[in-house]
Amino acid sequence: MRGIHKSFGGDRILRGLSFAVQEGETLSIIGPSGVGKSVTLKTIIGLITPDSGEVWVDGKSVHALPRSDLFELRRKVGYVFQFAALFDSMSVGENVAMGLRCVTGMTEGEIRKRVSYCLHIVDMGGTEERRPSELSGGMRKRAGLARAIATQPKYLLYDEPTTGLDPVTTTTIDGLINRMAEELGVTGIVVTHDMASAYLISDRIAMLHEGSIRFVGTPDDIRTTDDPVVRGFVEGRPDLPREVPA
Amino acid sequence: MSYMAPIQHDVEDPGFSLRGLLAPVRSVGQGVLAAVSTVGEGGHLAGRAVGAIKQVDIWGPRLVPLLVTIGLASIPIALFILTFTGMVLALQASYTFTGTVPKYFVGALVGKTIILELGPALTALALAGRVGASIASELGTMRVTEQIDALEALAYDPVAYLVVPRVLAGMFMFPVITVFSLVVGIVAGWLTSLAMLDMTTPEFVKGLRLFFDTYDVQFALIKAWSFGLVVTGVGCFYGFQTTGGAEGVGHATTRAVVVGSMIILVLDAFWAAVLL
Repeated sequence: MRGIHKSFGGDRILRGLSFAVQEGETLSIIGPSGVGKSVTLKTIIGLITPDSGEVWVDGKSVHALPRSDLFELRRKVGYVFQFAALFDSMSVGENVAMGLRCVTGMTEGEIRKRVSYCLHIVDMGGTEERRPSELSGGMRKRAGLARAIATQPKYLLYDEPTTGLDPVTTTTIDGLINRMAEELGVTGIVVTHDMASAYLISDRIAMLHEGSIRFVGTPDDIRTTDDPVVRGFVEGRPDLPREVPA
Repeated sequence: MSYMAPIQHDVEDPGFSLRGLLAPVRSVGQGVLAAVSTVGEGGHLAGRAVGAIKQVDIWGPRLVPLLVTIGLASIPIALFILTFTGMVLALQASYTFTGTVPKYFVGALVGKTIILELGPALTALALAGRVGASIASELGTMRVTEQIDALEALAYDPVAYLVVPRVLAGMFMFPVITVFSLVVGIVAGWLTSLAMLDMTTPEFVKGLRLFFDTYDVQFALIKAWSFGLVVTGVGCFYGFQTTGGAEGVGHATTRAVVVGSMIILVLDAFWAAVLL
């Protein structure tokens, strides 16, 4: 991303946001609520158009692509939504199959097998026929993850994948994110508030503050930083300043 | 400095008064801008929908279930309304004509009024409430729960997937429902004439055929087709525009019904002026 600016009404959310993600790495984006983390993820796959700036994915400028090419690019990207965003008019199995139906050449039998495999990976084997309304919050998130990985994407974007989950489910999701990166070489961007998860899954962590990147470094770097704003957030210390004069 | 000081200053400031005078102008201007913006956004969605028609593989499988939910499931309410409309028309025609014109004119009035106006218009207004509200609330909920974003992220064109099949289903099924409505409305008028107005079937049919023209039916079907386009299109538009949570979905649903009904009435007058 280069120089991304985005305002909603009079609120300037992103103010010259720039960062790069290396192939195969997992970058976590942390920051307070309302700072623009989800907006950043949606801007990356063209769900939100920035006021100015450029996003490059796979060598292509996302917001300059014609719609058909943008859809082609999106087939390489899996997106795990904050509240799962499962289609509530469909069963869990149909939800997971949605992305696969865009992939030409797969028979119904192959799609069923792939759906079953993806649900098994997220510990939800045998739930194909259940409706999203019958699932708990954790199960919905895992079903959303199964839908995102079904097409074997090259890139995965996770919007608060562990927020609100119990510790066991959180560990399961963290393990899945690591597995995606280590076994499949997936490049991941994770938006999270959960510092314990961020330390476990990230190659690098970036802190978004006042619309731009305040800090980026390895988990060890962020643990030892003396930036009071970053320390205040990661250590959960409201006594440290949230804003530092330039 | 006292708490009240700035208020006294504002009251005495002639600039404040000017602002106060200009406030209604500003609100009218903002209203006009909002209306122009809404028309522009509606035009943009319509353009995208026309462009998405070629994605038959996306909307094709969705069409048949929507023909059922938008069309067949709406028939009972349309028939209910036209049954009572036909009865009332026959009774009111008899009341109006008694002692002035022959009784068989009841058939003429029932047939002409139902075919030209009440059949298509009342059916469309009823369906604006049923179909338009249903589409706006469904798509609005999908919007606020990020399901439309999820469709985009999965490389589906949400306009092709959600809008095109609904609008096509509306354009196809509204005329079908209207034909049922016309038949039931006229039959209800006929049965009422037999049962309550001491008329015979030949008398009613004589009146019915007196001013009947097949063009009237074509006119009704053209109106129904356009009403189907409007009700489903407006429902989709407000569903896509939804922001916020449950309150936003409620606003979108209300707007879809109100705006849809208003456009139906305007179109009704338009077709009467253009085609009759």
